[in-house]
Amino acid sequence: MDAQKVDMFMMMNAKYFESHHLNAIREKLMSLDESKWGLVQTIQFKEPTTSLIVSLLAGSLGIDRFLIGDTGMGVGKLLTCGGLGIWAIIDWFLIMGATREKNMETFQNTFY
Amino acid sequence: MTRNKLYSLLLIACLAGFIYLFYTIHHSNNESLQVCIIKNVTGFPCPSCGTTRAVTLLLKGEVIKSALLNPFGILVAIIMSIFPLWILTDIVLKKETFLKAYKKSEVIIRTKGVAVFLIILVLLNWIWNIYKQL
Repeated sequence: MDAQKVDMFMMMNAKYFESHHLNAIREKLMSLDESKWGLVQTIQFKEPTTSLIVSLLAGSLGIDRFLIGDTGMGVGKLLTCGGLGIWAIIDWFLIMGATREKNMETFQNTFY
Repeated sequence: MTRNKLYSLLLIACLAGFIYLFYTIHHSNNESLQVCIIKNVTGFPCPSCGTTRAVTLLLKGEVIKSALLNPFGILVAIIMSIFPLWILTDIVLKKETFLKAYKKSEVIIRTKGVAVFLIILVLLNWIWNIYKQL
């Protein structure tokens, strides 16, 4: 794919991924065919900041985990009152990274 | 979610749950330890408040009382007794039966009808909890 297009994608979407993912994403996009550009533009990623807000407000109900598609963990948090309140606090720090990992999973499921 | 990450996370969670359970049984006189964030901040109970009390009642054999206090208690007791055994047998036999079941149940829970039904159940339990003033 055209380097200019790939760089545009990287600039717009870098915040959705962990920094160590970026290189692999760039290389994958470069190796893709030009006809995939439409598909690349239409993938929706989850915003890490939104999941952090949800985690702060409703973390002990597990809603942040449901939001990023981690249903099993969400049920676990809901049943145990946010893991006795401890897991809910730990997740305030982990949820942004977890969201970025989920975005990478979405990317991989689309193109690999 | 990889197999080892999920298994170690759940084993640690179950272990912490058992430690907390034994702590509450040995300190049953004073109810000063309140860990629930929602209850401490707003004063209203959350959907799963009273689960520990329900599990302790269940251990004493009073099933109906525990279900009336909070039905989540029975669910958590079943999970806490079955999951560690299942995971340990998986680790010993080097299989992935639990991981497959976990992923399958995630897909089932995410289907619209089931999800709406479960959310309504949780909300009803929450209303009941506030009504009971747990």
